[in-house]
Amino acid sequence: MRRINKNVFFIVVVLIAVFALLTFMGVSTTYADIETKIIKSVDDIRWGIDISGGVDVTFSPPEGVEASSEQMDAAKAALEMRLVNLGITDYELYVDKADYDIIVRFPWQAGEEEFDPEAAVEELGEMAELTFREGYEMDDLGQPSGVTAENVIVTGDHVVSATVSYMIDELTNEIQYGVSLELDSEGAQSFAEATSRLAESSGVISTWMDYDCISYATVSEAISDGKAFISGDFTYDSAKELADKISAGALPYKLVTSNFRVISATMGVGARNAMLIAGLIAFIVVCLYMIAMYRLPGVIASIALVGQVVGSIACITGFFGNIPSFTLTIPGIAGIVLSIGMGVDANVLTSERIKEELRSGKTINSALELGYKRAWTSIFDGNLTIVFVAIILMGAFGPPDSLLAKAMSWLYFAFPATIEGMIYSFGYTLLVGVILNFVFGVLASRLMLASISKFKAMRNPKLYGGVSVE
Amino acid sequence: MNKVYDIVGRKKYFYCFSAAIIALALILSFVLGMNVDIEFKGGTIITYSYEGAIDEDRVADIASELAGQSCRTSLGESLADGMKTVSITFPSSTGLSSEVQSSITDSLSQQLPDSKLALYSSQDVDPTTGRGFLGKCLVAVAFSAVVMIVYIGFRFKRIGGWVAGCCSVIALIHDMCFVYACFVICRFDINANFMAVLLTVLGYSINATIIIYDRIRENRRLYGSEKPLDELVNMSITQCVGRSVNTTVTTVTAMVCVCIVALVAGVESILSFAFPLVIGLLAGVYSSNCIAPTLWTVLQGAIDKKGGSKKK
Repeated sequence: MRRINKNVFFIVVVLIAVFALLTFMGVSTTYADIETKIIKSVDDIRWGIDISGGVDVTFSPPEGVEASSEQMDAAKAALEMRLVNLGITDYELYVDKADYDIIVRFPWQAGEEEFDPEAAVEELGEMAELTFREGYEMDDLGQPSGVTAENVIVTGDHVVSATVSYMIDELTNEIQYGVSLELDSEGAQSFAEATSRLAESSGVISTWMDYDCISYATVSEAISDGKAFISGDFTYDSAKELADKISAGALPYKLVTSNFRVISATMGVGARNAMLIAGLIAFIVVCLYMIAMYRLPGVIASIALVGQVVGSIACITGFFGNIPSFTLTIPGIAGIVLSIGMGVDANVLTSERIKEELRSGKTINSALELGYKRAWTSIFDGNLTIVFVAIILMGAFGPPDSLLAKAMSWLYFAFPATIEGMIYSFGYTLLVGVILNFVFGVLASRLMLASISKFKAMRNPKLYGGVSVE
Repeated sequence: MNKVYDIVGRKKYFYCFSAAIIALALILSFVLGMNVDIEFKGGTIITYSYEGAIDEDRVADIASELAGQSCRTSLGESLADGMKTVSITFPSSTGLSSEVQSSITDSLSQQLPDSKLALYSSQDVDPTTGRGFLGKCLVAVAFSAVVMIVYIGFRFKRIGGWVAGCCSVIALIHDMCFVYACFVICRFDINANFMAVLLTVLGYSINATIIIYDRIRENRRLYGSEKPLDELVNMSITQCVGRSVNTTVTTVTAMVCVCIVALVAGVESILSFAFPLVIGLLAGVYSSNCIAPTLWTVLQGAIDKKGGSKKK
């Protein structure tokens, strides 16, 4: 620590200030009207539905139905498509195959005063109506018209299966992905009739879900056995998407809601503002208390605390433009406020130790050194246990496809996936707070204190809570 | 200046105090019953905002007729945005489908057009998911406790880590009982907030306990095992008093700010999180100073004695 230069203090302070500025303001470049975020600002925080208002709903097949994995994928595809049709793009959707649950969460749609969440959810769970139609005629709204509207060849209930498969092109030896379609005997009959008629004129068969055209293909030959292969410019993913959508139309049941929660938009914003005020007051009070109790180390702790809070916010926005931001809920904000209080713990521990060493007659330099050394084991052990708790929380209540949830699935195997977003967000801010505590409460504080103590004016032990040198 | 607080000598008072609080919580929960939120037991709550006056019974009649089950209504006011609200609670555990909910909304706004009813919030929980959530929370707590015992057992070998670990978990259970007592006494619903508070207190209390253990470990090293356990523990706790008080002050201050703002703004969901958390934090610092280390002297003392007599 003796090697630390006087300038280090200012460097650390400037770094924290720059970090704070970047986190709040963000950096973005505008090129030809397209704004690219390089560093995200606080405006990019995604608020949880308990703040922005919104809908949280769990869909499952009706009681007694054991859906297969393919059917769950199909149901997911149907839901996604309908969400987009309802103009809802910023939804979260999770599938829990073990318990046949699909959890959908979306915020209140901005600007839509007439938005009726109950009707929207009802519509989401409806059985999709899949049709194969002749031709490819549609009106301005994209709905089938003319011969396409009149001539339904096969409906979804005649589909036995739709799966991804591939053919190897004999000429180029390349793999061509497509969708294998199998129809039941009744479906096969009408399909045979239509294809033999359309093959002559190179007619088109289009596939519709509700009133959206999801694909269309030219009929190349008559298909009499009810087994068709839809080829085209497919990748594996796009073929899978189409297969899922077709299967969704063939789902033999309607999805029912097992959990359903709606929160109005005004309720949460009031709560959020209250929490932010509380956080600000807490921050000021804690800083004043620290300075009153520990003087110089208290001032350092306050600067470090700024870094700690800014760091928490940066971890939520994602900071860099390419990192997705984390949804912040009210308990999440509470977690940040809590970490303001707990964040100074490392500073409290070391400051107490420094005080102790000074009182036992050590010099400032050795008191600082010993203070940090002795306090370290307790900071480490104490914080690590909180890390465990935060991780266990996140594993229990995170999305089922997240890393932590997978790592801990053996523990919670007996329970369905509950994405209690509120607790997950709380666990995340707690975890981030503790990790940042090592960076700011220990490392940055130590650098700042060691450097500032090199100044002559700062060499009075009284400033560190010791007794003055007479 | 160098006064050493005699914590170990007063352990009986501490144990009595804690036992009394826990007993009180148990008695109260039997007498008053506890309000388990629908998040855990399943059920439906629909809340509407309205204007002017509203006939509560009328609302209840319309809703129960459509849902085919009895319901309870309550009026409230959200201070966050000044809306008057009416909540309809369906305690039955079958849940209401979105169709039924939507038909209730429709017919309420048709039959009571003057009230300008608008859906404010609604929550419908299937009882199996509710139980799953509760079970998951309990497993999370239990698993955390096991991790703590293992970690402390490993890191504090020098002072009989397993015993110390068990003592800290007993202190944890003690803190959770205090949090539970707070929920029962304040009549808050047992819900996700309850679990979040339990888990936070778990982390905080363990942290505080470890600070004390760390000091005991250090003093053990400095003074050897010659020093009697009681003195060792008293000394360690006294040396940590500054830290215990100051960290508690900063943490509790932060949460008290949240409490006050939540109270002023009328955000009950936050109040029922922040206030029990304050109680839990206080319980945590109390138990890690007065329960865990004193319990450790009793247990470790007994083990040492046994080992000592064997040697002879």
